[in-house]
Amino acid sequence: MASLSLTGSALSAPLSLSRPIKATNGASSFNSVSFFNHKTQRTGFPSLSCAAAKPETVDKVCEIVKKQLALADDATVTGESKFSDLGADSLDTVEIVMGLEEHFQISVEETSAQNIETVHDAAEMIEGIIENANK
Amino acid sequence: MLRLHRRNMLQPVGSAVSRHLSTSCSPLPPTPLPHRREVHLWYIKPEEINDSSSQLKQYMDLLSPCEKKGVLSLSSERHQKNAILARTLTRTTLSRYCDGRVDPGSIKFKKGLYGKPEIMWQDGDNIIKPPLQFNLSHTSSLIACAVALENPIGIDVEENERQTVKSVLSVAKRYFTVSEVEYLAAVPYPDIQQKEFIQLWTLKEAYVKAIGRGFSGAPFKNFTIEMGSDKRAPKMHIEADSDCEGLADNCQFALMELNSSHVVAVCMERDQEISGDENNLLRLKVWRTIPFIEDELVSGTETVNYICGLS
Repeated sequence: MASLSLTGSALSAPLSLSRPIKATNGASSFNSVSFFNHKTQRTGFPSLSCAAAKPETVDKVCEIVKKQLALADDATVTGESKFSDLGADSLDTVEIVMGLEEHFQISVEETSAQNIETVHDAAEMIEGIIENANK
Repeated sequence: MLRLHRRNMLQPVGSAVSRHLSTSCSPLPPTPLPHRREVHLWYIKPEEINDSSSQLKQYMDLLSPCEKKGVLSLSSERHQKNAILARTLTRTTLSRYCDGRVDPGSIKFKKGLYGKPEIMWQDGDNIIKPPLQFNLSHTSSLIACAVALENPIGIDVEENERQTVKSVLSVAKRYFTVSEVEYLAAVPYPDIQQKEFIQLWTLKEAYVKAIGRGFSGAPFKNFTIEMGSDKRAPKMHIEADSDCEGLADNCQFALMELNSSHVVAVCMERDQEISGDENNLLRLKVWRTIPFIEDELVSGTETVNYICGLS
């Protein structure tokens, strides 16, 4: 299993440069999903390239998410879908991460997933982890 | 069984009530502040509020522009409703402790370092500013807000029949500590093991929320929670190989069942000046509410079943 060290110097541009901090979105995001969806001032993010994630990665994430949340096959889950919007609670979220780890053969540190809001964010993170592991 | 039932009936008449709700005069009955080792819990059952009621519209009027935008960005009506109720519960609950002098719609919030919501009292407010600590948790079927005085607090709610897609032991092995996995693995029956897992999960969530770090800021493998029993509160200790700095180790825990349907875990950072076992049990008051319509004190009734950690 490829593993990411957050303190490694292989990190490229920190998240704050490629993704501006969004306005606070009310309290519910912290409370319902304490895993994702809150901005922090910690540094040391996985290497996220500014290029979009590959469509096949995004599709795979959608598939894993749909399966975990028991959504219908024709339910709309796209790269833009937000985890908070899909009704994933903290338990769903960790199971989704486990599903991603199993499929992509990676290890996702809890801290590296903290800024993931959308399916596309997750796909980018996965590709970043794989890319770093292959360096 | 003690069952206090106070009704606060509001007869909506078009926009007049909306204006009334957003003026400085709050019709919510004032509630005395919790004692230092007491937790107040207020909860809403979304099924008790009609989906397209004018009540929901009035609640929406309490939200800040930013909160409203957040609600409207959610794609399903059910999620929108629950988000409105979550914000309404937070705002109305906090205003209850301000002696009727704070309009729920006027409360401002900020976020802590890891995103935990906190009250941001405004400068120049000529009102009392009680040192309230609070935390919110929701499932699709229950939204709960815990309040304490001074001491940081965390709460987590789960449906007690909640099933995981993966086996609970596999989730525990991935996220929990070795001793917690051993504890769960030793539970003989799968359905009891499932319940024990859910209880342990909520306790750990309540802890990371109390200390304001959230799951990402305090990964679960860094600390172990030992389940309590009838008279003994759950205890936690930080793992020897924890790579997470600054984790609080002075917290009190409590676990209860609500309505026979939900498990609720509460964690409060303990007072420094009180030591010894007498500090171990939390006192609790629980209200079921439909804000501005009905408040019902349910602690001391069969609605609230103490599991451990409560006196």
